[in-house]
Amino acid sequence: MKKIIDYLKNEFNSYSKNIRITLMVLFALVAGFLIFGIQILFWGLGYTDMNNNFAMGIWIIGDLGLVALGGGAFFTGFILYIFRNDKLEPLINSTVLLGFMCYLFTFILLVFDIGQPLRAWFGYTYPNWGSHLMPQSMLTEVVWCLTLYFCVLCVELIPIALKHKILDSIPVLHYIGHYLHKLMWIMAAVGTFLSFFHQGSLGGGMWGVLYGKPTWFRPHYFFLAIVAATAGGTSFMLLIPKIAEKVMKKKVAPAESFQSLAKISGIMFIAYTIFRIYDIVVMSVKYVPLADRSFIDLWGGFFGIWLLVVELACCAGAIVLLNLKKFREQEKFLFYGVICGVVAVVFSKFDAVLHGFSVPNFPWKGFTGYFPTIQEWVVMLGSFATMALIYMWFAKYMPFFPHLEKEKHKEGGN
Amino acid sequence: MMKDMENKMKRRWGMAIDLDKCTGCGECAVSCAQENNLPIFEDDSDIPKKMTYLDVMRITNDRDAKFPDVKVAFIPKMCQQCEGNDPKNPQPPCVSVCPVVATDTGDDGVVSQIWSRCIGCRYCQVSCPYEARVFNWWKPKYEGSFKKSLNPDVSIASRGTIQKCTFCSHIWKKERDKAVMKGELDINAVLYTPACVSACPTGAMVFGDLNDPKSEVSRLARDNRAFRLVHTIDQKKPDEQKKFRAIKNFPNPKVYYLSSKQWIRDLMRFK
Repeated sequence: MKKIIDYLKNEFNSYSKNIRITLMVLFALVAGFLIFGIQILFWGLGYTDMNNNFAMGIWIIGDLGLVALGGGAFFTGFILYIFRNDKLEPLINSTVLLGFMCYLFTFILLVFDIGQPLRAWFGYTYPNWGSHLMPQSMLTEVVWCLTLYFCVLCVELIPIALKHKILDSIPVLHYIGHYLHKLMWIMAAVGTFLSFFHQGSLGGGMWGVLYGKPTWFRPHYFFLAIVAATAGGTSFMLLIPKIAEKVMKKKVAPAESFQSLAKISGIMFIAYTIFRIYDIVVMSVKYVPLADRSFIDLWGGFFGIWLLVVELACCAGAIVLLNLKKFREQEKFLFYGVICGVVAVVFSKFDAVLHGFSVPNFPWKGFTGYFPTIQEWVVMLGSFATMALIYMWFAKYMPFFPHLEKEKHKEGGN
Repeated sequence: MMKDMENKMKRRWGMAIDLDKCTGCGECAVSCAQENNLPIFEDDSDIPKKMTYLDVMRITNDRDAKFPDVKVAFIPKMCQQCEGNDPKNPQPPCVSVCPVVATDTGDDGVVSQIWSRCIGCRYCQVSCPYEARVFNWWKPKYEGSFKKSLNPDVSIASRGTIQKCTFCSHIWKKERDKAVMKGELDINAVLYTPACVSACPTGAMVFGDLNDPKSEVSRLARDNRAFRLVHTIDQKKPDEQKKFRAIKNFPNPKVYYLSSKQWIRDLMRFK
């Protein structure tokens, strides 16, 4: 025991001061996540700021955001394995892990968010499938698609783990890893198929079908969410390795990989922005007036139109910085561009959830407000901290960035 | 033949509430809570988290108005038992969204909820335009002698589940059981009265079968003073309504409100 503690102490002290502080904050958040997580699971959702008017809160925003950003995994895999853009190969391991973690924590946050976590399995045993081929409830589709895609991501993650030098030295595992890697295009195709459905259903369709609520109802919301995920997700898949690069002070992937992914994200942001503008126009002239309300009046209250303004401004930022070569090739602007992309997609989720719930249902009521309690904040940030720690562990101990491995090999050769 | 008979026997329970008669006494809300075993917490002033099927909403013509210009009315609001565009194939906004089939519409038009099936995702609560569904944020508590007054016909929901008004459909079941005991064969012909309606001291609430054109509730629903809660499509011309309904479902609640006061009717739409 003493040996383990000494080892951990030495390991911890071997890092620079900044890393040590970061690690301490992350571990503190994880500890808080465990404590408040137990409180929420055992004593219920009364400890949140959610209520009968504001029935969903920060965790659902987190779910929507994580799925949309994690959706970059399916889209990057799709471009790499189906469109054969091999430039993305050096980033795919990081992408798969990010996708895996985003989906894992979506599940975890969903479990916290439902009132009866012990009945979570009812989604599989009593699905609301209706009488048709497609499920009747968007949430049924979400549960099934997320589960299946999570399985696909697990299979995609196995070869990365098997590439570790100790595991790779075992012949059976080496061959399993090798052939799984060969079959990865099938996984990418299956993942894309599944991902299209749940990106659409959780991010948009789930809200778009609520015909009683003018702030959400629009039939095309399903498709808008898919495009949002392809745009923002690819930005996220670029942002995280870029941060890793800054932290590790090493080139984790060739510049052309980042450039290629940035270009894809930039193009998708053009598509998303056009679709979003179409969405705003159609909402204002067609769908909101059906409920005898005006679109602009829905945008009052505590959160208001600024959420939409920030989203569109960030979309514009992402389009300019990721599509114009002179900006994209500059490290600083590339960084700002992907941050804009991620913020744009996260704000589109704020628009849907945070603002959507604040809109009054009765003319004699005002806009409502919501501010998460400490339990909600810590569970949410603790999830992100756990994700960051897992990513850091993979980046340090796993053959995670093939480019880095090659460079190491070259250095060794010299 | 059998199918025709079944159609004939079907009920379409609805309610009419005369706001001009309502005094806002809250008797309906109390009797509803008592009938449906709703818990009472120490601090029930936390209204957004309160467990109540029937909320008596206070509305006023102008918040800043002073006597004698101020006008106040009370709207008892419960589940509006929506049916969507097609009453023969009811599609309330909250039913199709449930991921675990914990809620459904019966052939009496009442939207049911199975507490023990509910996983507490609150998606139905989100979809409800009338804020009629409530969530058990805390573990239900029944302190002291209150436990002895619990209604054995209604199951108690666990913490973390959604509950809603079912037009006290358990009373209908009880009444039908009684009718069977008496040798009655046509059990769906049995009528009943929900707790809130029987408690109303001014007779402002009327309950009955909307499929029966002779029932009082049907007559009131057709009354010139009748309107539905924030359901502005009713004010459109028939051809415009048809056009709108082709684009999307509308809730079409089965609860009608009556008032001759123009300011109340004006409040039913967003300005």
